[in-house]
Amino acid sequence: MKKTALHLALALLLAALQASLLRYVGGGAFSVVLLVPVVVYLGFHAPTVEGALGAAMAGWVLDVMAGGPAGLLTFLCMVLFLGSRLAGASLDIHGKGGFAAASGVGAFCLGVGALLLTRYVSPAESAPGARVLLRVLVESLVTVPAALPVLAAMRRIDALFEKEEPGLLR
Amino acid sequence: MLALLKRHRELLLVAVLLVLPLGVFFAEAKRPADRSGLDRVVLAVTRPIEKVVGWAVTGTLRAWSNYVALRGAQARAAALSREVDRLEMERQDLLQARAENERLAALLDLTRASPDRTFLGARVIGVRMDPKGLQLVTLDRGSDGGVRKMMPVLTAQGVVGRVHSVQGGTSDVLLLVDRNSSIAVRVERSRARANVRGLGDPGPCRLDYALRADDLIEGDELVTSGTDGVFPRGLPVGKVARLRRTTYGLYQNADVLPAVDVTKLEEVLVLASSVRPAQAAPAAQAPTQGGR
Repeated sequence: MKKTALHLALALLLAALQASLLRYVGGGAFSVVLLVPVVVYLGFHAPTVEGALGAAMAGWVLDVMAGGPAGLLTFLCMVLFLGSRLAGASLDIHGKGGFAAASGVGAFCLGVGALLLTRYVSPAESAPGARVLLRVLVESLVTVPAALPVLAAMRRIDALFEKEEPGLLR
Repeated sequence: MLALLKRHRELLLVAVLLVLPLGVFFAEAKRPADRSGLDRVVLAVTRPIEKVVGWAVTGTLRAWSNYVALRGAQARAAALSREVDRLEMERQDLLQARAENERLAALLDLTRASPDRTFLGARVIGVRMDPKGLQLVTLDRGSDGGVRKMMPVLTAQGVVGRVHSVQGGTSDVLLLVDRNSSIAVRVERSRARANVRGLGDPGPCRLDYALRADDLIEGDELVTSGTDGVFPRGLPVGKVARLRRTTYGLYQNADVLPAVDVTKLEEVLVLASSVRPAQAAPAAQAPTQGGR
């Protein structure tokens, strides 16, 4: 539970960083989706319950920040969490590069999913157009390098809760 | 049933976390009138959670933005502090300039009020007020600047003293509070005559030779009578204070509070002539020129 609380604290910090970066990176036209690497990491490494709770909380934070209809990004983060879990189990994703690439793909899927669902529930005249896809693509590409410090932070949090087993030689 | 739930609790949790947000999303997307009972229940359940998360997120964002806004605040504060110091020094300079301006304006008014007199402006550059010696101030103008011995020295408030000695660029003024100073005065109200003598310190002077029968009260204004050959008539000297009239003797005694505070002198006027040379009558001008 402590780990989940730390994940939530990191998510809040990253959300704040993301919001302030929006002003400086891209001039408000696009942003870095820093919470996606958190969800991907949880999908790869966290136990199911902790990971699901963490992903839901990260999604909720994104929902509050986005100011759109509540639940959209929470649902998509849960989907991303499950997708990462499946990918982690079926594909051999190792190292920082693999994690960064997975984060980029995750950010893209999240953006496309949000676009599709919003189009589905919005009236035709106010639905977001396909032009948003370009923005989603740029955000995904920017998220790739940004995923590396997030990975380091998540590993640091996990290291806090690692217990050495007695009698194990290293 | 409970065992089944326990066995699949992870799956259930994931399912709830997946379905609930989707339900909230669809319920929120609908217009309020179109919402079903289930939608309302879902929204009612999730709204408090949403509020708490919103509070945490906005709080963190605000704290972060405050931190970002505070970057460089120390440097800005130091720069502002330096600016405040500079402005304070500038303010002090301006205050001094304003006070000087007021003093000079008062002196100028005095010269304008007496167009028939010639004044020389001078600044006090030295003070010698030894309790056992002479009470002198040094001016930055001497014989080169037209100052001569015995010339009256005054400010807008009144008489300061007379020129005691003159050098090329400076001159010493014997203040009216000096023991050797004696100025013939007249009571402005009753025209009674007397002398104001210094006591050797910057405090009050003494009123001499005021006849016991003369009309004199405390607070009376004293002005120069013009009978001592130094000061022209009508210049303020001081005010009568602590009047003491005994039942015997020829004179009454009193203290005189000088009109000028000699401890705060900065700029003075030296009365070079009581009448401008060009306007003076030839007969009156001759002895003055001869005297020089």
